[in-house]
Amino acid sequence: MNTSDLGVPRQNGELVFDAPWQGRVFALADAVVEQAFGGDREPFRQELIKAIAAEPDRPYWESWTAALEALVPALPQRPAT
Amino acid sequence: MSESAHHPAATSPVEQRVAALEALLTERGLIPEGFIEQTIHRYESEIGPMNGATVVARAWADPQYKQRLLADGTAAIAELGFGGAEGDHMVVVENTPAVHNVIVCTLCSCYPWPTLGLPPAWYKDPPYRARMVREPRELLAEMGCELPEDSEIRVWDSSAEVRYLVLPQRPAGTAGMTEDDLAALVTRDSMIGVARL
Repeated sequence: MNTSDLGVPRQNGELVFDAPWQGRVFALADAVVEQAFGGDREPFRQELIKAIAAEPDRPYWESWTAALEALVPALPQRPAT
Repeated sequence: MSESAHHPAATSPVEQRVAALEALLTERGLIPEGFIEQTIHRYESEIGPMNGATVVARAWADPQYKQRLLADGTAAIAELGFGGAEGDHMVVVENTPAVHNVIVCTLCSCYPWPTLGLPPAWYKDPPYRARMVREPRELLAEMGCELPEDSEIRVWDSSAEVRYLVLPQRPAGTAGMTEDDLAALVTRDSMIGVARL
């Protein structure tokens, strides 16, 4: 068992994001959840479930991207701030 | 837009879509300055299975903490400073010689971020999500986690409402170890329940 990976920015040797765009689209969804939905993840999660169900074999972060795109029409024009 | 000048031109279709989303959301005022970089940094360096390992080691070392952890996972995990997005409703399930627990999210990728970081690739893949419910013993064996025939396997389907964390069995021969040493024994996979220690 290799325990030396636990303290570094990897998950048991696996990088969190395979490509920079994956990290960016992950963070974009986080921003939308926080800024547009007050921390409620459910609207995004429902879109992610739909996106994965629509194309189960599509790469995960592409489904994530599709879910965020689908959420855009529901976003407020301006943030509540 | 000096920020975008640091990024190479988007090339693949999905990179172009992500760049378009970022531009649109920024225009809508939904992306605070520096938010993207901070979020990526946090998940790459501060949030990960080392947090869950700290929780497990404390539970092994402190029976009273373990009781609190099994009674109210969210509160006990917050005692150690871990919480936030996707960690609101934590339930910790304990492995015993007779019972082995494993977590899955059948619909998408629900996972306890504050304690385990973001899920590994296989956790998000259709075969894992479907087969762990249908034939857990076979799939666990294929993943290198052979369980005795007479052990019970409990599969927990994570959702927006509940996130599960497996408390693995403490390995034999660890009686005199410090919490830090114990934490170093705990792997991500053991806290998902696809490995034993």
